[in-house]
Amino acid sequence: MHEDTLHEPDQALHVEDLTVSYGVTPALWDIDLDIPPGVMCAIVGPNGAGKSTLIKAALGLVRPVAGHVRFLGHPVGRMRGRIGYVPQRHSVDWDFPTTARDVVEMGLYRSLGWFRRPGAAARTRAMEALAQLDMQDYADRQISQLSGGQQQRVFLARALVQDAPILILDEPLAGVDASTEAVIIALLQRLRDEGRTVIVVHHDLTTVQSYFDWMVMLNVRIIAQGPVKQVYTPENLRAAYGRQLAMIAIPATAP
Amino acid sequence: MTALADLLGSNLVRTVLLGAALLGAISGMLGAFAVLRRQSLLGDALAHAALPGVCLGFLIAGARDLGSIMAGAFFTGALAALAMMLITRATRLKTDAALGIVLSVFFAIGVVLLTHLQAQGGAASAGLASFLFGQAAALLRSDLWIMGGVGLVALALVLGLWKEFKLVSFDADFARAQGFPVLVLEGILTVMVAMAIVVGLQLVGVVLMVALLIAPAAAARQWTRSLGAMVALSAAFGAASGMGGALISASVRGLATGPVVVLIATAVVVVSILLAPGRGVLWQARAARRARAQISDRRLLATLQGLAHAHDDAAYPVEQGMIGTALGAQPPATQLAKLERRGLIRPVTHPPETTPHWELTGKGHAAAAAPETDREAPQ
Repeated sequence: MHEDTLHEPDQALHVEDLTVSYGVTPALWDIDLDIPPGVMCAIVGPNGAGKSTLIKAALGLVRPVAGHVRFLGHPVGRMRGRIGYVPQRHSVDWDFPTTARDVVEMGLYRSLGWFRRPGAAARTRAMEALAQLDMQDYADRQISQLSGGQQQRVFLARALVQDAPILILDEPLAGVDASTEAVIIALLQRLRDEGRTVIVVHHDLTTVQSYFDWMVMLNVRIIAQGPVKQVYTPENLRAAYGRQLAMIAIPATAP
Repeated sequence: MTALADLLGSNLVRTVLLGAALLGAISGMLGAFAVLRRQSLLGDALAHAALPGVCLGFLIAGARDLGSIMAGAFFTGALAALAMMLITRATRLKTDAALGIVLSVFFAIGVVLLTHLQAQGGAASAGLASFLFGQAAALLRSDLWIMGGVGLVALALVLGLWKEFKLVSFDADFARAQGFPVLVLEGILTVMVAMAIVVGLQLVGVVLMVALLIAPAAAARQWTRSLGAMVALSAAFGAASGMGGALISASVRGLATGPVVVLIATAVVVVSILLAPGRGVLWQARAARRARAQISDRRLLATLQGLAHAHDDAAYPVEQGMIGTALGAQPPATQLAKLERRGLIRPVTHPPETTPHWELTGKGHAAAAAPETDREAPQ
């Protein structure tokens, strides 16, 4: 019965009482979290705050000790095809013998169903996704020959090709150059403007205000969540990062 | 050729040849996935862990019955895989340490059982030692059916679950997030590797079996740019190594089949690592040498152009000694001759000086000003 009843369907992501523990120490403690649809949300926090763990738990890749997660009211198992996931770039071996387009087509494997192979339609959609990231010229390149920024774009294209209403990205801007960062952010903002929900694990506090409209500040527990304007305050930043926070991150004037 | 025909006339040789080819193809195909998933050493542990199973199978059946021996090998292999999983989950030990521990413990148990059984005597138990390094002569016609069956099942699974296996091998986290049953798919791949090992024990033995999984895949990776090509080529390398080893050991007295097969597969790896276009060591060295020569040429042309600009004279004759001073070292005559042949520079005289002089041609000016070409990076 629980599986069929919608729970908090008005939230793109709803997390309640979520606790995740690796061994003895909790990585996430009693997380309550709501992200409304149609926002571009940054998840920020210091190293070890549990940012990646939070999205992995939300996606069911990590088993929580307690709590539950809903996407648009559904458990994650029912939303598999409607969530685009971009893992950290370093989580895979880029020497794998394959091309950029082939990786993007992997985003369509689920919708193909068992035993079916991707065909011309998948190829077209993959090319379109690559083109949105300005990567169409690299479609037949071996992925080992791509630069870090290009690899990140391929990963994003793989999530894009699913045409999912919710996108979850784990540090998509880590180690990419300025031009790739601009391309990725422009695309994510466009997706947000189309009404999709974009959730990004982000490590650069200096750009949070300009890139995002919603944010979750995390340090094992939730420090603050809500519109960036309300959350990005010196008190919250100090609570999340401690006193030794770099000056640049503190807003000059508190709202 | 008549020697070859004689060899193939023998039933035993034909059986061994076919068996070795089948085994090579199966382990080559599955090894490609194991290598890409960084699980090649899991194969080694499974193979070593099969030895106690071989002895147990013999103990239970009371004779050298292939069915029970294979079942035993499969059973202890699974036990070893389970032990490794428990060790890495329950302790802080990493996979390599867990592999090392499990491999040696299971192998030690196997050797203890083996020596014990042999000390007890009995004609049949003497043959058990052949499972250490394999004994091709013990291969029976009926064994080929088992190998062929395993091969067909593996081929059907790889073809049927192609995109699923590919996704899981490349990015298991993404596959899980997409809702694929990753644990089941990985389990199928691992069980198939274990099956390949079990059917290979008789021919190659527990100690060397892992080479047949890793070597063809490592060699195939050097030559290919897609997973399909890699798996197919790996199977072909495995089959060729198997047949080559079988033929050599059949024609030369006293050469064990298994080790010869492994040596041939390794030779294929060495050749591939050295020669493969794109990834091969020699190919990359040649590409690096070319790139160095190209940079050196450009520096020389740029020097001439810089001096021409400085003198406001496109056809400014540069004294050869001046080039060397500007570059820090005298350019070899061969380099100058080569650039002259390409029509980029031409020798000129500049009386009253008697030393050699060079000027840039129009083409040379264009080449010096051209942007750096986008060289294809090695794979």
